Amino acid sequence: MMFFFLFSVSGNASNPEFKKKKNSECLLRLRHEGLLNSCPAGVASCPASSCPFRSPRSPRLKLLESALLLGPRPTAGGMEFSELIRTGRAQAELLRGPGAPPLRGTLCVTGHHLLLSPGPQATSDLWLLLLRSVDSIEKRVAGDSGTITLRCKDLRVLQLDIEGVEATLDIARSIEALSSLESVITSFPFFYRPKGLRLGDAWHFHPPEHYYKRVARETNAWRLSEVNEDFSVCPSYPRAVIVPRAVDDDALARSARFRQGGRFPVLSYHHAPSGTVLLRSSQPLTGPQKRRCAEDEELLRAVLAGARPGARGFIVDTRSAQAAKQARMTGGGTEAKAAYPGWKRLHRPMERGRPLQESFVRLVEACGDLEQSMDRWLSRLEGCRWLAHVKEALSTACLAAQGMEREGACILVHGAEGTDSTLLVTSLAQLILDPLSRTMTGFQELVEREWIQAGHPFQLRCAHSAFSHARPKHEAPTFLLFLDCVWQLGRQFPLSLEFGEGLLLALFEHAYASPFGTFLCNSEKERCLCEVRTRTHSLWSGLNQPKEQRKLRNPLYVLNPLAIWPSVEPQSLRLWQGLFLRWTRPPEPSEAAWEKVWQIVTDKEKTEGSQPTVSASEPQP
Amino acid sequence: MASAPTSKYNSHSLENESIKRTSRDGVNWDLSEAVPRLPGETHVADKEVIYICPFNGPIKGRVYITNYRLYLRSLETLSSHWHFEADACVFQDSALILDVPLGVISRIEKMGGATSRGENSYGLDITCKDMRNLRFALKQEGHSRRDMFEILTRHAFPLAHSLPIFAFLNEEKFNVDGWMVYNPVEEYRRQGLPNHHWRITFINKCYELCDTYPSLLVVPYRASDEDLRRVATFRSRNRIPVLSWIHPENKTVIVRCSQPLVGMSGKRNKDDEKYLDVIRETNRQISKLTIYDARPNVNAVANKATGGGYESDDAYHNAELFFLDIHNIHVMRESLKKVKDIVYPNVEESHWLSSLESTHWLEHIKLVLTGAIQVADKVSSGKSSVLVHCSDGWDRTAQLTSLAMLMLDSFYRSIEGFEILVQKEWISFGHKFASRIGHGDKNHADADRSPIFLQFIDCVWQMSKQFPTAFEFNEQFLITILDHLYSCRFGTFLYNCESARERQKVTERTVSLWSLINSNKDRFKNPFYTKEINRVLYPVASMRHLELWVNYYIRWNPRIKQQQPNPVEQRYLELLALRDEYIKRLEELQLANSAKLSDPSTSPSSPSQMMPHVQTHF
Repeated sequence: MMFFFLFSVSGNASNPEFKKKKNSECLLRLRHEGLLNSCPAGVASCPASSCPFRSPRSPRLKLLESALLLGPRPTAGGMEFSELIRTGRAQAELLRGPGAPPLRGTLCVTGHHLLLSPGPQATSDLWLLLLRSVDSIEKRVAGDSGTITLRCKDLRVLQLDIEGVEATLDIARSIEALSSLESVITSFPFFYRPKGLRLGDAWHFHPPEHYYKRVARETNAWRLSEVNEDFSVCPSYPRAVIVPRAVDDDALARSARFRQGGRFPVLSYHHAPSGTVLLRSSQPLTGPQKRRCAEDEELLRAVLAGARPGARGFIVDTRSAQAAKQARMTGGGTEAKAAYPGWKRLHRPMERGRPLQESFVRLVEACGDLEQSMDRWLSRLEGCRWLAHVKEALSTACLAAQGMEREGACILVHGAEGTDSTLLVTSLAQLILDPLSRTMTGFQELVEREWIQAGHPFQLRCAHSAFSHARPKHEAPTFLLFLDCVWQLGRQFPLSLEFGEGLLLALFEHAYASPFGTFLCNSEKERCLCEVRTRTHSLWSGLNQPKEQRKLRNPLYVLNPLAIWPSVEPQSLRLWQGLFLRWTRPPEPSEAAWEKVWQIVTDKEKTEGSQPTVSASEPQP
Repeated sequence: MASAPTSKYNSHSLENESIKRTSRDGVNWDLSEAVPRLPGETHVADKEVIYICPFNGPIKGRVYITNYRLYLRSLETLSSHWHFEADACVFQDSALILDVPLGVISRIEKMGGATSRGENSYGLDITCKDMRNLRFALKQEGHSRRDMFEILTRHAFPLAHSLPIFAFLNEEKFNVDGWMVYNPVEEYRRQGLPNHHWRITFINKCYELCDTYPSLLVVPYRASDEDLRRVATFRSRNRIPVLSWIHPENKTVIVRCSQPLVGMSGKRNKDDEKYLDVIRETNRQISKLTIYDARPNVNAVANKATGGGYESDDAYHNAELFFLDIHNIHVMRESLKKVKDIVYPNVEESHWLSSLESTHWLEHIKLVLTGAIQVADKVSSGKSSVLVHCSDGWDRTAQLTSLAMLMLDSFYRSIEGFEILVQKEWISFGHKFASRIGHGDKNHADADRSPIFLQFIDCVWQMSKQFPTAFEFNEQFLITILDHLYSCRFGTFLYNCESARERQKVTERTVSLWSLINSNKDRFKNPFYTKEINRVLYPVASMRHLELWVNYYIRWNPRIKQQQPNPVEQRYLELLALRDEYIKRLEELQLANSAKLSDPSTSPSSPSQMMPHVQTHF
C-alpha cells in the first residue's frame, strides 16, 4: 500500500483544485471521506502580504527570481490549476498489474491527484494517485475509447481504459500538464494537511546542531560554526556546520572560496572509538596554475592536529586520478601532496550523473520486459551495470570506514561538486561504523543530515525516474543507489538494522514524489525561501506515527555494537527484488513472512512487557 | 598501499566453523585428543604438511587421518585480519581447521615429482565432491607423500580395497531411530490409501517384479497382479506405473514409471495401454490422462534407437503427452562442473553474472521447477491424473514427483514429512545414489555420477526462499543432508535401491541420518514456519527470481561470508522458543475458551492453523 494514499484531510470546499468541478458527486464523496484537501495559504487567493517569498526570519535574503520558485505563475495572484484541467470526469477501468484486481469507476483529475471513484455499490475505496508521481504518460485511442498508460516514478505501470476519445485525450493532456509542474510552492506538500499531524512537527528533529551535541560530548576539537547563517558562504550547506575548533569563521569563508560551490571541508562523522573523523567537501579550485589556499591547508592541518598526535589523513577522491587532473582545466582539481602534509590521496572512480541514470533506466527496462526470453536475463542484468555501481559505492565506503577504524586515519571525501557520490560514501561509511545510525531514528537523522541538509539536489536529481522520455538533464539516482546499498547491508546483516525494507521503499517513493515537504528543493537555502518547514509537513513525523511502524521496522533487530563489514563480492550482491520487481511479482509470501515475524516478536513483548534481548549479539572475533 | 582489493573486508576464516559444527553434532570430542572422533572411528596416521589454502596462502599444519575423516590443524596461529595497507591476511589466535569426511573425496592426485622445483610444488591434490579442492605440500625427501597417498586412497575409496564403508563401522547412538521415520504403509494410510480405486500390493515383496522398486507398491484396484507383470515387460527395467501421491479431495493421482519400450519399430503393448486407461478411470472427472515426459522431445525420440521411446497418440487415445525439456544426467554434471570452475577457489569477479549464466545451472533449475509446477498444477487445478516418466524413471522423474508433492502437500514441508518424501520418492524408488555419488568408489570419471539429488535440494532451497514461512526446516537442514549425502557416516544414502539395501542389512548395520537430525531438531527449524493445511505453493520459476545458492556453493570462500552465523542462528533459536511458547499459550487459551464457550472458532484465525495436525486435511 502506498503510504501517501492514506492521508485524510478536513475539507475546505473553497479549494481551487475543485472549483470548476462539474462532478459534484465525486466532490461529495471526497468530502464525505475526509479526503478533500484544504489550502491554508490558498495559492489562488494568496494575498500579496503573505507572499511566500518573503521570509520573516531571513530579511537579508533577496527574492530569488528562479524558475524553481515562480514556475508557471501566469496570473498575478497565483495560478489556477483548473486552467490545466481539461475535463471533469470519465468512466474508466484501471489495471494495476498482476495481483491487483481491475477497478472500474469515475475518473477525474484534480490539481494534484488522479482519482478513481468506484460506483456507489462498490466495496473498494477511492483510488488516488499523486500526479507528481507520474513519470511518463502514453495515450492510444481506438474506436470510441482510449487507453492511457501511466508509468510512475515508483516504477509502477498503470493502465487506464477510458470511455470516449475526447475524454481520453483531455485527461491525458491534463495529467501531462499537471504532473510536470516545476513550481515548488504550488506543489502538493503545501496543501497537504493530514489529520493527526501538526505543521512544524519533527522539523526540528534532526538538525546538524543536534548531531553536534553528540560530537561535543565525545571531543572538544570541534565547534559549531554559523558562518553560513545567511547561506552566503556556501549556498548548498545548512546554516550551521561542524568545523575544527582551531579554525575561525574568516578562515572558513576563505577556504570556501577555494572550494567548488563554497563547500569547504566540514565534519560528517566523528568515530569516537578511534578518535578519527570523516569529512566531506567539494574539489579544491586549484585550476591549471595549481593555486593554493593557506586557510584551506590550515583547516585540514587543524583536523589532524585535533584528532591525535601524528594522525594521518586520507583524501578519498571519488574520481579517477586522470579525471581529477583533467578537472584542473575547468578550474577544479585536487589537493597537491606538498600542500597538505600528512594527507594522502586515494582515487576511487565512481560513476555518477548521466551514466548512473542510464544504468537505472536500462535496469528498469530489463525488469519490466516480461516478453523477452529469460535465457539471457543474467547477462542482461550484468549489462545494466547497476550492481557494479552498488559494488563501487559499498567498497569505497568500506575503504573510508577501514581507514578510520583500522588505520586510525582521518578521511576527507570529495569528488567534484561533493553533493552526490561524496554523500553516498560518507553516509554508507557511517552505517558501517556507527551502530546508532542503524537505528530507526539514527538512520532518519543520517538521511536528514547527510543528504537533505548536506545539499543533495533532490529536486534536480529526482525530477524524473526511469521512464521519462524527456532528455535527462540533472537526473541521477544517487539516492536510490544509496538505498540499494543499505538494502544490501540489511540483507547481509539481517539483525543489525532497526529498520526494514519498508522504510527504504518509502524513502525511495517520497524522494521522487511525496505529499511531504522533506525532499523538496535542492538545498536548505531553497527550503528556507519556500518556507518548506513552516508550510509543509515533515516526512519524518508522517513515518513516525505508530500505525506506520510495523511496515518500517525490522522485527529481528538487536543492537550490534560492532562495525558491519559487508561482503562486496559480486556473488554477495543481489538485485533488490523488493524494489525493482515490486510490481511484477506477487508480494504475498514475503509480506506474510514479515507479518509472521512481527507476530512472534510482539506476542513476546505483550506477554512479558519487555523488548526481546539477545545475549549472543556478542562481538565477533 | 591502501589500494588493496576491497574484496577482503570479510575477515573471518570459515574453516573455524567446522570445530563448532562437529561439536554441535553431538560428537564426543575428548578435549585431550587432537581430533574429534566418532564412536567407531579409529586413528590411522598423522603427518606434518603444508596446507595450501587458496584464501590465506600456505599454512603449516598437522594432518590426522582416521577411517572416517581427514583433519587438519594449523601449527601457526594467525589472525585473519586484512591489514589496511599491507594487503595481507593475518590470523589471530585461531588455528585453521579443516575437517573433511573422507567420503567427500572424489579424486586424489600426486602433484609435482621428486625433482620438481619451486616451493610447495610437491604433494597431493584432492578433489572433493562438495565444491572444493584441497592441496597439501610435503617435503620432497624420501617419498614422504607415498604413505599419505596410500592411506588416503585406501580409506577414501574403501570399495576398491575390499574395506567396509565407514557407515558400517560407525557406533554412534542417538535417542531417536531415524530408520523408523518412514513406514510406507503408514504414509499411504496418511494419504487415505488404500481406497476403492487403489490397492496396496506386495507383488514385489522379493523384488522379482522390479528389482529397483520398493517391495510395497500402490496400483489401481482393477489391475490384477497378472496385468502388472505383463505391463512390466513393456516398461524399461520393469518400472511400471505406480502411485506416488493422491489428491485428498479430487482424488487425482501422480503416477511414476519409466519409459515404454517402444523401440524403432514402434511396438505397442495392449496391457500397458489398458493399464494407463485404468489409471485414468480411477478419477471420473477427466477424459484424458496427462503424461509428462521429463526429457526434451529429441532425446525421447533418440531413445527409440535403444529400445525406449514414449507413448504415441495412436496407441494411447486417452492420454496427452507433454515433454518438459529437462536434460539428462550428463548435461547436469557438466553444468555443475562449470559452476565449480567459476566459484572455486577464486570466484569469477569481473563478469560474474554472465559467467554464471554460461554454466546454465540456474536454467536447469528453472526447467526442473517449471516441470514440477506443471505437474502440481495439472493435479490441483486441472483435476487430471498425471503420469511422470523420463528414461528409467529414477532421476528426473524423482525430481518432478517429489517437487510436485512438496508443492501440493504441506505435510512434506515439515522436517519429518520431508524426510519421508526423500525416503519414499528417492531412496525407496531407487534413485541410484551409489552410482550418482560414487560412495567409496575411486572411479572419479564414472559417467554415472551426476548431481541430480543436489539439484533437487537446490530447487527446494529456491522454494524455501520464495516462501519463507512455508517450510519447517531451515537452510542448515538442507546443507546437512547434502553433507551427509557424501560423508558415508550414515547408511541413509548408500546403495542404489531397496533390494540392495536389504541384502546389506543397511537398517540394522548402520545409523540413519534422520537419527542425527531428529535428535536435535531445533537446530534445523525455521522460526518463521507457519503450519498451513491446504495451500498449494507455486514458486516463481523465472530466472529473475532464482538465485545461486551462495551459502552452499560458495561456502568455502571466506570473502563471501556475511553476518557471522552465530548471532543469526542464536536469534532464530530464540524466536523458535518464543514461537513454541506462543503456540503453547494459544493452545491453553483455546482450551480455556472451549471449556467456557465450547466454541473455539471465535478465536483469531492463526491458532487453528498452528495446531499440530497428525494428518493432512484438505
